[in-house]
Amino acid sequence: MSRIYPIGGGKGGTGKTVIAANLGALIAKQGKSVVLVDLDLGGSNLHTCLGMRNPRIGLNEFLNKTCKKLDQTVVSTAISNLFLVSSVNCSLEVANLFFAQKQKIIRAIQRLPYDYIFLDLAAGTNFNTIDFFLASNEGLFVFTPEPTSIENAARFIRTVYLRKVKQVLKQRAFLEIVREIIANMKDRNANVKSSDIIEALTEKDPAKGKLLLERLSAFRFKLILNQFEKKIDENLGEKIEKVCNRHFHSDFQFLGKVSYDEKVHDSVLSSRTYVTKYPYTVTALNLQNIVDKLIGKDQPVSDRYQRYHE
Amino acid sequence: MNKFEELNLYEILGIPLNASYFEIRQAYKEELSIYDEDSVISYSFFSDDERAEILKKIEEAFLTLMDEIKRGEYDRALVDAGIADVSILSKKGQKKPIPLFQMGRPAEYNALVKRVKKRVEEKDVTAISTEILSKEVISGNDLKRLRESIGITLEEVFEVARIRKSFLKAIEEDQFEELPPMVYLKSFLKSYAELLQVDVQKIVEGYIKNVPIDQEFGR
Ligand SMILES: Nc1ncnc2c1ncn2[C@@H]1O[C@H](COP(=O)(O)OP(=O)(O)OP(=O)(O)O)[C@@H](O)[C@H]1O
Ligand SMILES: [Mg+2]
Repeated sequence: MSRIYPIGGGKGGTGKTVIAANLGALIAKQGKSVVLVDLDLGGSNLHTCLGMRNPRIGLNEFLNKTCKKLDQTVVSTAISNLFLVSSVNCSLEVANLFFAQKQKIIRAIQRLPYDYIFLDLAAGTNFNTIDFFLASNEGLFVFTPEPTSIENAARFIRTVYLRKVKQVLKQRAFLEIVREIIANMKDRNANVKSSDIIEALTEKDPAKGKLLLERLSAFRFKLILNQFEKKIDENLGEKIEKVCNRHFHSDFQFLGKVSYDEKVHDSVLSSRTYVTKYPYTVTALNLQNIVDKLIGKDQPVSDRYQRYHE
Repeated sequence: MNKFEELNLYEILGIPLNASYFEIRQAYKEELSIYDEDSVISYSFFSDDERAEILKKIEEAFLTLMDEIKRGEYDRALVDAGIADVSILSKKGQKKPIPLFQMGRPAEYNALVKRVKKRVEEKDVTAISTEILSKEVISGNDLKRLRESIGITLEEVFEVARIRKSFLKAIEEDQFEELPPMVYLKSFLKSYAELLQVDVQKIVEGYIKNVPIDQEFGR
C-alpha cells in the first residue's frame, strides 16, 4: 500500500512545491520509491524544482486519453527512486476540473505503485485543492510564520474539516442538517460551523454522530512551519498543533520547522534539488527530521547516511 | 459538541493533577500566549466571541486551581466522579500556594517581584493614597493614578499578579462591559491592592461601588 500525502498551504508561496521536491528526494535516497504528482494545474512548477525544463509527458496525456493509465505518464528524475507526474502541459481550462475528472485522477493516483506519493497542490481553498487534499486520510500542510499565513492556515483547516464532514455525511444528509441548524439559529447570517453540525447530528442520530466523529478522528493533518526565522516564537508550531487538537476532532501532528535559507531560492533555478546540493545546512537537517517523523526511522542506518557518500 | 468544553480544569491548562502552584502559573501564562487577544493563533482560529468564551474558561481554571480551598473542592468532585484517584487529595495538601512575595521561585521571577516590592516600599505616596482611600467610590482612574505615581507599569502588574492586561485595562479605564465576572473582579482587585500595598478591603469595596448596578448584577 502506498502512502499518499497531499500537500496544501492556505497561502501562495509558503513552500509547498519546494517541500514536495525535497521530502521526495530525501525519502527516495533511503531506497523507497517516491512519485511526486503536480496537481497545481495552471500553476505547475514542480518540474522546475527538480531541474527539469520540459517533461515529455504528464497528466495531460492521461486526461486526453493518450495514456490509458496514469502510471504511463510517470517520468524519472535526476534522483534515482524519485519520479514525477508533471502537469506542465495541462491546458489552463483543466484548472477547473469537473467532479468526474477529479474522481478519475484521484482513483488513478490511489493505484500508482510507489511507496510514497506526494501531491503538490495549488494554494488556497478552492474545490479542486480541497478535494485533492481529501484524496488521502492524511495530508501535509505547509505554512509560514506570517500572521496572514496563519490566518489562511486556519481557514484551510476549517474548510477541509467542514468538507470532510460533508464527505462523510454525503450531500443530502449534509444539506438537510445544515438547513435544520439554520432554521433554529437566532442569527440567520451566522455561519454554520462544523461543531454545530456534529452537535446537531449527535443529538438527532447518536449512531451517525459517532460514526462521523470516528471518521473525523481518522483524518490526520501533518503541519510544517516553513521559512522559519530566529526572531519567531519557537513554539509556534507546537502551539498551533495544540489548539487544533483541542478544538477539532481530527489528529494534528506538528512535524517541525524548516528554517529560512536563501540558498533554497538559488537551488530552484539550478538543476539540483536543495537537499542534494546543500545536505549539511540547518534547513536540510530540518527537512531530514521531518522525514524521520513522517516515515519513521525504521530503515537501516547505512541507508540513511548513504546520501553523504555519493 | 466542542472538544474544548469537555476538558476539565487541569486539562484546560494542560497540567497534571498534582501540578504545583508554580506549574499552574506557568501553564496559565502559556495558555494566554495562545489564546489572549494579541495572539495571532487565537485571532486566526476563533471568532471574538469564541475566544472570549475560551479565555473565560482558562481564567476559571487558573483561579480555581490557584485557590487552595477551591482546588480541594474541585479535586474532591473529580474523585467522586471517578475521574481522579483518591490519592490526589492527600498528596496535594503538602504543597501550599506560594504567596506572591516569597522565595523559592525562578531567579528571574523573584528578582522582578523584589524590584517591584522595593519600588512600592520606597516611594512615598501617602498623600495620594490617603486621598484615594478616603473616597467612598474608587474609580479605575484612581487606581491608575496610584499605580503610576508609584511608578509601576501595567506589564509589571501582569507579570507579578498574573492578571491579564486586557482586564487590567478594563479596570483602570472603567470599561465595565469588559470586566470579568464579579468573583474574578474581586480577586483581581485584591491582588492589585496587595501589589500596591494599600488597604485591600477599601479598594475592593470602593471600586465595586464604582461599577454600575446593572453591570454588577448582570454577572
Ligand atoms: N525554507 C525556505 N527558505 C527560503 N526560501 C524558501 C524556503 N521555502 C520556500 N522558499 C522560496 O519561497 C518561494 C515559494 O516556494 P514554493 O514555490 O515552493 O511555494 P508554493 O507554496 O509551492 O507556491 P505556490 O502557491 O505558488 O505553488 C520560492 O521562491 C522558494 O525558493
Ligand atoms: Mg507550488
